[in-house]
This record gives sequence, C-alpha cells and structure tokens, in this order.
Amino acid sequence: MAREDTSSGDLLQGTLDMLILQTLVMGPSHAHAIAHAIERRSDEILQVEHGSLYPALYRLDDRGWIVSFWGTSDNNRKAKYYRLTKAGRKQLTAETSRWERLVRGIGRVLRPAEEQ
Amino acid sequence: MRWPRWFRPARRDAECETDIEFYLETETADNLARGMTPGDARTAARRKLGNLSLLKEEVYWMNRSMLVETLWSDLRFSLRGMRQNPAFAFTAVLVLALGIGGNTAMFSMIRAVLLKPLKFHDPGRLTYLSVEDPKRKVENGRFRRPEVEEMQGAAQSFSGLGAYGANPESVSVSTRGGEPEALKAGRVSWNFLTILGVQPLIGRAFLPDEDRRGGPAVAMISAGLWRRRFGGDPRIVKKPVIIDGEPYAVVGVLPPGFQFPFDGLDVWVPRPSEFSMLPSRFWDIPLLHAFARLKPGVTFDQAGAELQVLHQRYVANHPAFAKEMGATIRVVSLRDQLVKEVRPMLWMLLGAVALVLLIACSNAAGLLLARVASRSHELAVRTALGATRRRLIRQLLVESVVLAIAGGLAGLLFAQWSLSAIATLNAFNQGPAADTLFLPGAQDIRLDRWVLAFTTALSVITGLLFGIIPALRMSRPGIGNFLREHGAGSGSAARGRPPVPGANAHALLVVGQIALSIVLLIGAALLIKTMAELRSVSPGFQPANLLTMKIALPGKRYATGEQKCAFFRELVRRVQALPGVRAAAVALSLPTTANKLGTNVEVEGQPALEASEQPIAQLQSVSPGYFHALHVHLRRGREFTAGDDAPGARPVVIINEAFARRFWPEYPRGPDPIGRHMAEGADRIRSAEIIGVVSDVLERGLAMEAEPEFYVPSVVHPPQTAYLVIRTDRAPLSFSNPVRSQVFAIDRDQAVSEVRSMEAILDLTMGRRRLMMLLLAVFAGVALALALVGIYGVTAYSVTQRTHEIGIRQALGARRGQILWLALKHSFLAALCGVCMGVSGAYAVTRVLEGFLYGVSPTDPPVFIAVALSFLAATAAASVIPAWGASRVDPIAALRVN
Repeated sequence: MAREDTSSGDLLQGTLDMLILQTLVMGPSHAHAIAHAIERRSDEILQVEHGSLYPALYRLDDRGWIVSFWGTSDNNRKAKYYRLTKAGRKQLTAETSRWERLVRGIGRVLRPAEEQ
Repeated sequence: MRWPRWFRPARRDAECETDIEFYLETETADNLARGMTPGDARTAARRKLGNLSLLKEEVYWMNRSMLVETLWSDLRFSLRGMRQNPAFAFTAVLVLALGIGGNTAMFSMIRAVLLKPLKFHDPGRLTYLSVEDPKRKVENGRFRRPEVEEMQGAAQSFSGLGAYGANPESVSVSTRGGEPEALKAGRVSWNFLTILGVQPLIGRAFLPDEDRRGGPAVAMISAGLWRRRFGGDPRIVKKPVIIDGEPYAVVGVLPPGFQFPFDGLDVWVPRPSEFSMLPSRFWDIPLLHAFARLKPGVTFDQAGAELQVLHQRYVANHPAFAKEMGATIRVVSLRDQLVKEVRPMLWMLLGAVALVLLIACSNAAGLLLARVASRSHELAVRTALGATRRRLIRQLLVESVVLAIAGGLAGLLFAQWSLSAIATLNAFNQGPAADTLFLPGAQDIRLDRWVLAFTTALSVITGLLFGIIPALRMSRPGIGNFLREHGAGSGSAARGRPPVPGANAHALLVVGQIALSIVLLIGAALLIKTMAELRSVSPGFQPANLLTMKIALPGKRYATGEQKCAFFRELVRRVQALPGVRAAAVALSLPTTANKLGTNVEVEGQPALEASEQPIAQLQSVSPGYFHALHVHLRRGREFTAGDDAPGARPVVIINEAFARRFWPEYPRGPDPIGRHMAEGADRIRSAEIIGVVSDVLERGLAMEAEPEFYVPSVVHPPQTAYLVIRTDRAPLSFSNPVRSQVFAIDRDQAVSEVRSMEAILDLTMGRRRLMMLLLAVFAGVALALALVGIYGVTAYSVTQRTHEIGIRQALGARRGQILWLALKHSFLAALCGVCMGVSGAYAVTRVLEGFLYGVSPTDPPVFIAVALSFLAATAAASVIPAWGASRVDPIAALRVN
C-alpha cells in the first residue's frame, strides 16, 4: 500500500534533515555516529528514534545534499559513511535561517505569556 | 545524474539491511561495553532503533516506483473488471473505436496527401510557376509555349524548368493487330524526369530534339501498362506501339507508382503544347503549366523576382500581350499546388472527426462515470483499507486507458474498412469535370507506422481525457461517507448534492455531447441542402436517359475536317437507327464538364474593338440533332439542319440567351438577334448569320452561371475529340455495347472511352461536395447516435438509482405525470442547454464551409431551426423511454429494493 508521505509532518522532517546536515558539517560520519551525536549534542533532549534516520539519510542522498561512500569504522567494520556536499551546505544555511526565524517568531508570541 | 532508487530496488534494500545490521552490531558492542548482558545488549539496540518492520517497509517503498510496481496489478485488475462487465466494456470500446477509427482514417489521408513529401528526389526544391493578375481576374494562369522556352533559356534560379499540358488526354493504344484500349496520356516537356529526379525503369527519358515541333513520334509508358499489355518485355523499347492509330516508338518505361502530372496516366508524350483537342494554330495560347527545380541556395522569392523580370521583358517584346504587363509570376512549392484543391477539405474533415472523437470521449466518460458510481462501495472499501486518493485515480485512469487502447485497436479495423470505402469513392479521380474530387497521392493512403503511432498516442490521450473526470469525481475524499449513507439506506438528496454520485458531471458531459453533435449536424444539413439546391438547378437540358461517350479521332488518320465530319455523320446515322434510340448527336464538349473552348467574338452593330479587347464567348461545335437530343429549348429562330452541316454551306450560328443578353441588353425585348451576323476568332468565321437563340446550358458545372455561348455546325469546327450523346428510351448504360459495336463497324481501330450516363456525370461534377457531404453526414450520424445514447443513459441511470425514492413518492400519492416529469426534468434541461450551446457554436464556425455551399448561407436560419427542433424531439424520445419505465414502477417492489 501507498506510503508516500512519512506523516511526521513537514516541520519535523525538515528539522531532522537539518540536524543531520549540521552533524555532518564536522566531517563524514556513519548513521550510528550521527544518531548518537544528535542525541549527545542536544543533551539527550532530542530522543530521535534511530531507525527514522535511515529514510532521512536516503532522502538527503537522493536530493544530492549528502553523498555516501564505504569506509571502515572504529571497530574495524565496513560501514556506510555520509559526507556533506556543496548543495547540502547551502541547504543547511537556508534551513538554519528558516529555523531561526521560526523560533524567533514563536518566542515573540510566547514571551508576553511568560511575563504575565 | 544518479540512477533513481527504483532502478535497482533489490540492491538498495540489501544496502539498507547492511546499514541496519552495522548499527545493531555497533550499538550492541557499545551496550556490552556499558556492562549489559549479551541478550539485553541486543534487545536494547533494537529498541533504540525503533519499529524495525515499519522502517524496512518505508525504505522498501522509497526504493520502488509506485508506478512500475503497481501498474501491472492495476492492469490485471482492470482486465478482470472488464470480464465481469462485458456489456459496459463492449459499449465503451465500440464508442471509442468509432471516434479513434475516424480520426485514424482521416489522419492517414492527410498524411498521404498533405504531409508525405512527394516521391521525387529532393521534393522541397520542386516548384510550380503560375501567372497571377488580379486586375484581369487571372488566377493560377498558365504560360504560352514561347514564354516557357524563353524562361528555360534565361532563368538562372533553376537547375531545370519544364511544362505540362493542362489536361490529361484520352488516347487509344494498341499493338499491331490488337484491340485498341482507351488510356490517359500526359503531355510533358522532354526534361520532366530530370527535373523530378526520376530514372526510367528501362530505356531512356525524352531527348531535347523530341520536344521540337515536328519531332519524332515517341512515348514513354507506365510500368503497369508495360506489364499488362506487353508482358514486361524488356525489348519494348525497340517496338512500335500504336497510339491513336500512329506508330510511336516507346523510348522508356516509368517506374511503378510514378504519378505526374496527373493521376492514372499510362502514356507520356513530349511537346506539351500540342494539345490534340485544339487545331495547331492554337498551340501557342496560354496552355502550359510550368514547373521547375530550384538550384540549391535559391529561395522561392528570389526565383519569383527573376521570373518577374523575364516576364516583363517578354511582354515588352510582344506588344500584343501588353495588357499582361501587370501580371506577377508566382513561385510556389509543387506539392502545395498539387494539393491546393483538397487541403481545406481534408483539414475541415479532420476537424469534424475530431469533434466526433470528443463526443465519443465524453460519451465514454459518461459510461465510465455510471460504472464507477456503481463501484462506489468497492472504492470506499479500498479507501478504508488504506488506498490513497492518488492510487485510486491511477487505478481508474489505467482502466480508461486500457479501454481506449482496445478502442484504438478496434478503431484501426474500422479505419482500414473506411479507407477502402473512400478508395472506391476516389474513382472520382477519373472524372472529366471541373469540380471532381482529385486526391493526389491517394494510392499511398495506408495505415503505416506514422499512422499507428498517431493512433497509439491518440488512444492514450483519449483514455486519459475521458477517464480523468470520473477518476477525480469518484475518488473524492468524501467518498468514505458513502459507506455510512449506504448502510443507513437513506438518500443524500436532502443535502443539495446530486442524489447519485457523479450525476452532475454526467449531465454536463451530455450537454457537451449534444452541443458538439449539433455543430456537426448543422454542418451536414447545410451540405445536404447544398446538394438538394444543386440537384434542383436546371442544367438547361434533360439529363435523364442520356448516354455519353468520348471518341478521340487519331490526328493522322483523320486529318482533314471532311474525314472527321464523315466519320461522325456516319456514326450518328448508324446509332440513330438502333432500336430504342430516340436521338443522337455529337458535340465538342459535354455540358457541366471542364475543357471548354473560349474565343473572342465580334458582333455586327457593336463597336469595333482590337481582337485582344473583344468579349470572350464559348464555342460549342455540334451536329444538327444536338438540341433535340439534349432537349435544349429553342427560344427563337430555327435549329441547324443537315444542309447547314454540309461542306460549303453558308456559315450559320446559334447563340444562347446569355450571349443575346450580353450583346443586346434589352433581350428578349428590343432588337432581334436573329439575322444579325457575327465573327469569331477561333475559326475566323467571317460573318456567320445568327439563325437561332437557345436556352442557357450550364457548360461549366451546376454551381457556375451560364456564360455567353455560341454553337456552330460540326462542319465549321470539326472536332478531333468529340462526345457522342444518345437519348434513349430506357436505362442508358444498356446501350453502351450496341453503340460501341457501331463505332467498331466504322473503324475497328477506334477506341471509345468515358462511357457514362449524363446523370452519372452530374454526380461526378459534384464529387468534392458529395464526398464532403457523405463524410459529414456519417460523422453527424455517429455523433447524433452517441448523443442520444448519452442522454438515454443519463436518464436511465438516474431513474434506476432513484427507484427507491420514486417508490416512496408513489406510495405517498405522487401521480404518474409528476414521476415522469421528475425523471425527464434533468435530461430535458441538459438537452435544451446543449442545443443552445450547439446552435451558437455552429453559428460561429459554419462559415468555414462557405466554399462548399451553394444556394444556402452558412447561417441559414431554416437549417438551424430544423436541426435544433428535430434534435430536441429526438432527445425527448430517447429520454422518455426510461422515464416511462420509471413512472410504471411498482411502489412495493421499489421499496423492497434495499
């Protein structure tokens, strides 16, 4: 049966994409490392279901924002590594600024409520 | 570009497996390092990853194209559906076959006649030259032999320039001792094959010397004649062939299928200006069509400009043609010239048949809508089971495309059949008249791979077109409600929605069908009225029971006027003696056909003018019994007698009323033309006395007005080629063999051709209009049938769907009339809407038919009103049948339906 959209909603999906791209700015990495990096760097606030990383990675790969290559991991196993492309870097900048605008907007709406 | 994921789905899946396996191992190893037991470590890793089967399914679908994966199942599903409901499938395929087949047939005609390049070498550089002079009303004018020769010598734009005689000639061909056979010959200049870039099959082309006046008697023959008559003997080029009683040397055989400049030629002879119907002193009048091959790099405009200069120089050197100074020389592509007559007709017919396809599409859409509506339950269930809207739409579109392709296949059969029917109609090509149908390249009309590609594309587009409305309509997200409504057994009429899903769309489709069929019906009706008008035109003689045939006397054996006259006099005498023959006569040409001889005339008592300024009248040379045989009315004076037709008789002429009005404007009052004298240019009759006035005969065709004409006795202008006309007392064609044997009895080498009844000739003269009318009538008939089926369907369908409601109404006391109106209301409104739209549409477009109409305006109100009213009546009849059935529903049975 059809599963054309992953139903996680545009915001969430775009956010996960942004997080992956941001993680890859530091350099190529494999999926397991990316998942843990996102968790660690958000102080465990963002509990990404690690499985959902894979469709996201494939999608980014299809769009040409990242490319994959086979490498050897720390524990000496063959693993698929992902590297950010030029287009991916551009996309990250765009996504980040979009995100910041969104956060600022939401923040402005919420602040008066806090002050009450 | 990278390969799309679905290109190698299995490999992608495996990669994902590896990825996940790597994750699990790494995570397990990390967990172990944190001090978990091996079992817990693995479980924790899995938990961290989330729902593994969901993840795998998601990646599975990412790696596959929905289209590729599910198309096959959609296809099987739709074939299964058709097997379950063969009546629906059959009707839809039939409807589509009519539409697609008609378009396929028209497209193959257009492809063969208009689109395929001429079958000559580099046909894009072949040009046709003509003289245009709007001031003198010269359109597509022809050239004089000397001017062609001058252009041949001087023009630099062309690698070759040639000419051909204006009409095919009838010749009698035989071998020594064999039966003569009447065939068509073309007169061409020696270089015609060089210009066209065609090599003879065997032998050689003509030589320049053979084109000079008095050159040797040589001919080329068609491959067909060569095989049929000469058994394909390669030594034919050494043997003489008897053409019109004269031995001709056959110099070469043309390749099979060669057609130039006319269709159906079997013999080609050089010296294009030596037209056998004309005495040699006329051979330098403008008789020649000129054609040429452009040199590489020269444009049509440049060539035209050069010829323009040459023409001005030619006119300046010949003061007699001074008035032709203003003429322009037009250079057009040869192909455009050859198809000029039929192009508008073919495009118009394609337009008409495209309307039929639209109607068929909308009809099929209606059928599909009804069928899909009856499948609402199935669709609702599928939605409930998780089918997305897009998936449903695709399923429905696949079904309609499958139907359309089946329709396209059936349409190919239909097209093949109708093309062979049209091929028999194309026997019109042989016709003698000005308005006959001539389809150049008609022998090439076939379903080739371009046509097949066209049909395939058309089928797919058709399928999408008629499938899209039902698909969008029925896959609406709200369809889920249907389950609930249906379960509750209550209608949704109260909510202002149509009581039946898709009913509004269905009605709209029917409105469209009606509007389009009205346009076609009005077009056909206008042409039918045109034909009726033409048939009611009196040609000026009585065409019933009149047999005609053509007799072309060979010039060498019948050289003198006395020889020709003696032959025809003897023939008429013998034929008149046959039992059942009322009268017989010979004439230079037949009424309502082309090939007329016009000449300048001078009438006594009129101001004297230069020869070139004198009025033109048509010359007709007839034997004495002509007016009697044709039943042409004598208005004044007397007919020709045998004495007038005797050698050395005092010259006399008979004029028609148009002639009389031209020179004596007060005719029939005022001065009497009888007894006046006139002179004419063709035979330099000096002062022949006018002895009679006859009623006008339409010489050029039924749609052309009578022109001034004068008749002379055969002896004054003895025809080389003449038509025998025989008034019989029963079916004229039964006399053809007795008359033929009389011809052979006088001269056993003399061929007879074009044996026809005069009524058949009148039909031939309407060839183009008749074909147009026949095809439009067929299209309109199909359109009408489809529209009626459509309106019947929409009524019948809404009635069945509302049986329950009708039952309730009846139970509550509704009268039969009310029920009838309830059932009829919608279809009647639809019909009214459609008719109004159709009539206004027709009002806007029928003017494209103007060139084909006669005696009726393109917006003729009676035709419009009659078509609209009869259509309304027909739709009322078509919708009353199911409505009547509805009004007789048994309320008890109706209420039990659910």
